[in-house]
Amino acid sequence: MEPLLRVEHLSLDYEVGAGTFHALRDVSFEMMPGRVVGIVGETGCGKSTLGQAIPRLLPEPPARIREGRVVFQGTDLLSVPKWKMPLVRGTSIGMIFQEPINSLNPAYRVSDQLMEAVRIRKFRESGETEVFRPAEGFDYSKDRPVDPKEAMGRTFLPSPPAARSAGARRGSEELRIDALEYLRLVRINDPETILDLFPHELSGGMRQRIMIAMALSEKPTLLIADEPTSALDITIQAQVLTLMKELMDEVHTSILFISHDLGVIAEMADDIGVMYAGSIVEFGPVGEVFDRPAHPYTKALLKSVPNRYKEDGVLPSLPGSVPNLSRLPSGCPFHPRCVFARPPCEPDPGPSLEPVKGAPVGGGHRAACYYSDEVFRLP
Amino acid sequence: MGRSKIDLAIFVAKRVVWFIPVLLGLITITFFAGHASVRNPCAVWVGPHASPDTVQSCIQYFGVNQPVWDQYKNYIANLFQGNWGKDPQGGTPVLPVILTLFPATIELLVSALFLMIVVGIPLGVIAANNSGRWPDHLVRLFYLGGWATPAYLGAVVLAIGIGPVLGLPNSSDFSSTPDPGWQITHMSVLDSILRLDGAAFVDAIVHLILPSTALAFLNLGIATRMTRSSMLEVLPLDYVKTARMKGLSDFWVLYKHALRNSLISTVTVLGTTAGSLLSWIVVVEEIFLWPGIGKYAFESILSYNFAGTLGVVIFFAIVVVIANLISDVLYGVLDPRVEWR
Repeated sequence: MEPLLRVEHLSLDYEVGAGTFHALRDVSFEMMPGRVVGIVGETGCGKSTLGQAIPRLLPEPPARIREGRVVFQGTDLLSVPKWKMPLVRGTSIGMIFQEPINSLNPAYRVSDQLMEAVRIRKFRESGETEVFRPAEGFDYSKDRPVDPKEAMGRTFLPSPPAARSAGARRGSEELRIDALEYLRLVRINDPETILDLFPHELSGGMRQRIMIAMALSEKPTLLIADEPTSALDITIQAQVLTLMKELMDEVHTSILFISHDLGVIAEMADDIGVMYAGSIVEFGPVGEVFDRPAHPYTKALLKSVPNRYKEDGVLPSLPGSVPNLSRLPSGCPFHPRCVFARPPCEPDPGPSLEPVKGAPVGGGHRAACYYSDEVFRLP
Repeated sequence: MGRSKIDLAIFVAKRVVWFIPVLLGLITITFFAGHASVRNPCAVWVGPHASPDTVQSCIQYFGVNQPVWDQYKNYIANLFQGNWGKDPQGGTPVLPVILTLFPATIELLVSALFLMIVVGIPLGVIAANNSGRWPDHLVRLFYLGGWATPAYLGAVVLAIGIGPVLGLPNSSDFSSTPDPGWQITHMSVLDSILRLDGAAFVDAIVHLILPSTALAFLNLGIATRMTRSSMLEVLPLDYVKTARMKGLSDFWVLYKHALRNSLISTVTVLGTTAGSLLSWIVVVEEIFLWPGIGKYAFESILSYNFAGTLGVVIFFAIVVVIANLISDVLYGVLDPRVEWR
């Protein structure tokens, strides 16, 4: 089966006044349709950058993609002209952000924002605008000059002129009905009232539900969830996670789930990618990675999860700190903190992501460590 | 406190009531400053070649030798009866003059503000969206140039340098002075629309171009700079990313989602700018011979026409207060989190 998303050797820098930060270094992974891939890592390891680099949401500059490909449904998104990217977003790739407080526009009512999303999807379904249809095979090699008027017109969303005069009212009522349906889908009890409120009149959990409804209302093939529950308190977090799990069964969408919380990932994801200092150090099916990690960093990370550590005493923690992304150590970026580090770990270039010896064949368990088989075999 | 129509009405009423003491204070300061700075205005009013007797009778007639405090009480008492005083030299009453002149000034002010909004704000958006690249530098050069130009210089260059080259007339050569009976609002553009007179409309617009451009160009920087800096603050926010991730094109992301939130600070600044535009208007009207209140203010000050000067001050104060009130109300319209209080 063709993977839905294939990220190949993606490297991305942030060029800011203080220097060049290598936010992503040679990131590669695959996502099969219908799967939930979790990305875990500490703060500042590049998870969010990865999530935003896929739909090309990062402003360039300061971000600069050095190399790599992001193949989505057979098309390399990095070679799609910039003005065509809006056609990929929304209906093909949707996104939920971390802070529900900031992710809804404070100036517009929930109805405005939600109906806008529904309208985009309907407009594209109606075939009146060009939609991102990778099946037809785009030839982006011939990059034609950008006609801004045309580019704007393509995604010119307010209801088409015909609908404005005759059935404008009916059209917007249809959108409203659709919007209400999505609010009910995310288990909002009183959608009629909620729809007419402004974001600041809602709680964080409610806003995140609306964000989810908004993303889902466009029926995206791939949903990127960038720490969707991290900013919520624990009970609301549990509710939102349960909701997302239920929705995964209802709305068959592939999800790239970014989180720093191993517990959340364990619950949600099918596959997991562990990130450290801008690169994926281990990738594989969740059960396998959690049971038998093959990278020393994953192992250390799993050891320091509080609920796994039951006896009294000091919580195991990793010595040292996360390296500065502008001054990475040579070779394996983890070697200064690694208990397994030996001389070959230091010279350039460091280890790359390779199948773990001894892991079940076909499971796709890979790790970026010279001694992954050794770590893997440890109890 | 809240956002209902009644709350808004209370808010506006409160501001209007507060305006009365402010206006009284302003009149007092202007009155005493004016009278304190001139020892014997009669010497000017009667002219350099008048006999001492004429000067004496002038002093008697206008009561200039009375204590200033009495003159002040007199003026205020008259003002409350609707008598704004007279021009001592021609004897023309102040209020009717101001009432006929102010529409032209408002017309100039509004068209300059209009230019600042339709040119200044999109320029700020373009600059912010391309921050650090050449469009940004170009826009900044443009508005800083306007800002750094003194009003008299910029207006003179436009009036005698650029205007004639483009074939644009000054107000001095109004080609079709309209029939006074047809002057309904005393605003040339509005009048021509009300009269459904196409030729007069074009003529009015053509005459407006230079003075309003002068006024707008010199103050454009404020709108552009505010828009640019608040857009730069808004653009990295999550809800802008949310809008992008919906699949909206750049145009809608910028002008619907980002600009709406950036405009809050721009509107506040434009409200206060409307007040400072009035001080520029005095210079601009004099240079372009615009038949407005600015020119009248200039002449009143030069001829020690106290009543006229005070009339202009009252009028300007009213405009400043209204401009600020409009910007405060717009502030609440733009940001649904604002409550009227």
